[in-house]
Amino acid sequence: MIANAAEIRKFTILSWGWLTIIFGLVWAVSWLVGVAIPLLLANVQADWARLVTEICQVLTPLVAVMVFIPINAMFMVLAERRALALFTVRKGPNRVGPDGFLQTLADALKLLFKEDITPRGADAFMFTLAPIIFFAPSIFGALPLLAAVTNNHNLFQVVNLPTGIFYVLAVSSVPVVGIVMGGWASNNKYSLVGALRSAAQAISYEIPLVLSIITVCLMAGTLDVVKIAEMQKGGLLNWNILGGGALSGLNKYFQALAAGQADAHQMLSQYYPDWGSVIATVVLIACTVLLVGIYLTGACAEINRIPFDLPEAESELVSGYNTEYSGIKFAIFFLAEFTNLFIVSTIATVMFLGGGDCPLPDWLNPLTNPAVTQPVGKFFSFFTDRIHLIDPSTFFPAIWVIIKVYALVFFAILVRGTLPRFRIDQLMAFGWKRLVPLSLIIFVLVTFAKGAVRLHV
Amino acid sequence: MIDRGEKKGQFLGAVSVSYGLIALIIVVLFASGLFTQMMESINLKGYPDIYAFVAILFLGTFAILFARGEPVAVMAIGTIASFFVLTVGQEPLVRYLTLAAVLFSIGMYGMVVSRNAVRVLMSIELMLNAVNLNLVAFARYIDPIHLRGQVFAVFILTVAAAEAAVGLAIVLAIYRNTATVDMERFKLLKW
Amino acid sequence: MEHLDLLRAWIPGRLDDFLFYLLAVMAIPMALGVLFDRTIIRSGFLLIGVFGSICGLFLVLQAQFLALAQLMIYAVGITLVVVIALMLTNPKLEKEAQPGTAHQQLGSFLVAGALFFTIYCALRSESWPLSSEAVSPDVQTIGMALTTTYALPFEFASVLLLAALVGAIMLAKAERAISDKEEPSKEAGEQNQPATLFERDTTVSSTRR
Repeated sequence: MIANAAEIRKFTILSWGWLTIIFGLVWAVSWLVGVAIPLLLANVQADWARLVTEICQVLTPLVAVMVFIPINAMFMVLAERRALALFTVRKGPNRVGPDGFLQTLADALKLLFKEDITPRGADAFMFTLAPIIFFAPSIFGALPLLAAVTNNHNLFQVVNLPTGIFYVLAVSSVPVVGIVMGGWASNNKYSLVGALRSAAQAISYEIPLVLSIITVCLMAGTLDVVKIAEMQKGGLLNWNILGGGALSGLNKYFQALAAGQADAHQMLSQYYPDWGSVIATVVLIACTVLLVGIYLTGACAEINRIPFDLPEAESELVSGYNTEYSGIKFAIFFLAEFTNLFIVSTIATVMFLGGGDCPLPDWLNPLTNPAVTQPVGKFFSFFTDRIHLIDPSTFFPAIWVIIKVYALVFFAILVRGTLPRFRIDQLMAFGWKRLVPLSLIIFVLVTFAKGAVRLHV
Repeated sequence: MIDRGEKKGQFLGAVSVSYGLIALIIVVLFASGLFTQMMESINLKGYPDIYAFVAILFLGTFAILFARGEPVAVMAIGTIASFFVLTVGQEPLVRYLTLAAVLFSIGMYGMVVSRNAVRVLMSIELMLNAVNLNLVAFARYIDPIHLRGQVFAVFILTVAAAEAAVGLAIVLAIYRNTATVDMERFKLLKW
Repeated sequence: MEHLDLLRAWIPGRLDDFLFYLLAVMAIPMALGVLFDRTIIRSGFLLIGVFGSICGLFLVLQAQFLALAQLMIYAVGITLVVVIALMLTNPKLEKEAQPGTAHQQLGSFLVAGALFFTIYCALRSESWPLSSEAVSPDVQTIGMALTTTYALPFEFASVLLLAALVGAIMLAKAERAISDKEEPSKEAGEQNQPATLFERDTTVSSTRR
């Protein structure tokens, strides 16, 4: 039997409680700014009212992200500590609030009131600028993903850029500048070594990371995150993790079988006409599964998580680049680190795990069955039509996204609790001699295999 | 380690501040059109922006050479002021090209003057970036359909990356052998 | 995007100008700082600032793809490597001597000023064939151009990058190549012993032997 089943139950309750608070709050704020104020101003026939409406709609994504980031980081820190305690059969923080519920709130308050020290000989300006440069990209990088994870909701269409995922990747490569800057400005050897390691590591692991994302874009034929998420709709077999849409023909075949169509077998031969296409499908599935692995590895290194947390290896470098930081600046570093983990998981969800798509195929899914949706729709119609509180086309995708993203976050915590740290030369050798060639080979394979089979039919 | 207070005091000396104020006055006069009238009243017609530029340049030279102002501050103020004077009221394309020319000239100056080899490389990167800005501005204002300027900018990006990699590798190899990156002391081939 | 258009109509035609001057006023002093900052590592960070503001200018010019490429390749990739090189070649983090003599400085200043003035006169005397058409979507256009009209230069660029990669590795690991050559004579008869620079590795392998 599981020894700490009670702890697991407590952890689950705590997680769901926090998640409800986080997303309820974000939801309320974006509803207030994006829907309620425009609804109130809808009857005012004045220029300023129109302008305020427009500004509100532009600001909605930003406000949503700004509200989301601090609370989410608080939850993630708590979840990480509790989950690590679970893996090592300890209790974890359980004193503040009901069962440790408010532990990180107390931590955050403590950090805010701590003295903010600038070490002697430090470059004061850059020392202050570094946390800002580290943190700002995580706000701006998250914006285009908002459109993808909410099923292109009206409120968030503003942030859907044509360069989509490229924007996210470019912006999320910026934080390393903040690390190097902070490490150098601290006037401390440990910080400097941590910063140098971080720079080398980020530049090396960015190549496999970007190559894996580019391969997915190659299969999808677009950089637009919303389009990539939409392509994967319709169940597990359509997701990019399983062949990048190569199995969607199989999905169609199963659907026809379930509907009892007679010409189902014909369909199969239509989508997979020869052995070449079958082999290509198998190759694509192998490639995409590997791609997910490469992406997660590269992302772990990019955001300095264990097993790639060489820049802040506490057994060697005290605390790495943030050794000299304290008070609110350290809090900002901390915040940004956990936000980056969240963003990386969101990218993985959108690119590989189908975004807001239910894993059950449509022909199995009771939620798309009209017999189920009709009464529920009636019940919700007051909220949806009158005050626009719930948008059913967004609500369920958002819940799936939340589940998938936090599953990935939990996976990252699991990895942290399991794997030992790399040594720096092993790290570089692994990046350049294994991951880069592997991702290049996969890129070439996918280029050829993609021609032999129809993707996302 | 480094006494920054003293440096800051030097950087914002009285000469630099007064030069900045004068430059600001010239810019404001120019932007409001008064400068043109003044020039016309003393029978200098045609190129008021060039006259203002020459005035700023002359004052800047005076401030550095005779009034012993901090050269970097004076140079920065003079560059920004003359940039304003030369671009206010121009076509957007000309503005971008002027900015690119300013950055290119700064890069050129740095490439000639710097003694640190890495800083020379940085100046070259600056020049390449100025060229990129030029090309993108051309693509936006002259060729918005085919965007050929942007395509060339992509090529320049790759060349710059290659240049930086090889250049820095050479500098590091030299540093390993001679323990210096001072351009004045790379005299291996001199006889 | 229509919201931004409305905002732009409200601030009549001034947003682009304002952003341009803001970014230009950021870029020029930082570019000067790259040359004159005596703490050389800080000048490396200033270079990042210059590239960042040029990236902003690209965004104003509606070249989104290039702006992001600029941010990713220049502002983070190249400049970070430059900063690391600065730290490696200046291990004591000392201040630099004044660059050049006053004589040199004046001469090069005159040259640079003359260069700028020549360029400026040239671009003012030209009558530019301005086009007022809407900018086509840049990702598609650049992609099509690179894979059709400019396919050959694109391939050459990739060969150039490969050559630069190999060349940079060869130059940077010159020392290790020498030790590689020496090692077989020292440990003749040994097989599968990777030559490493790291002390820990050699001790481990020697104990294994």
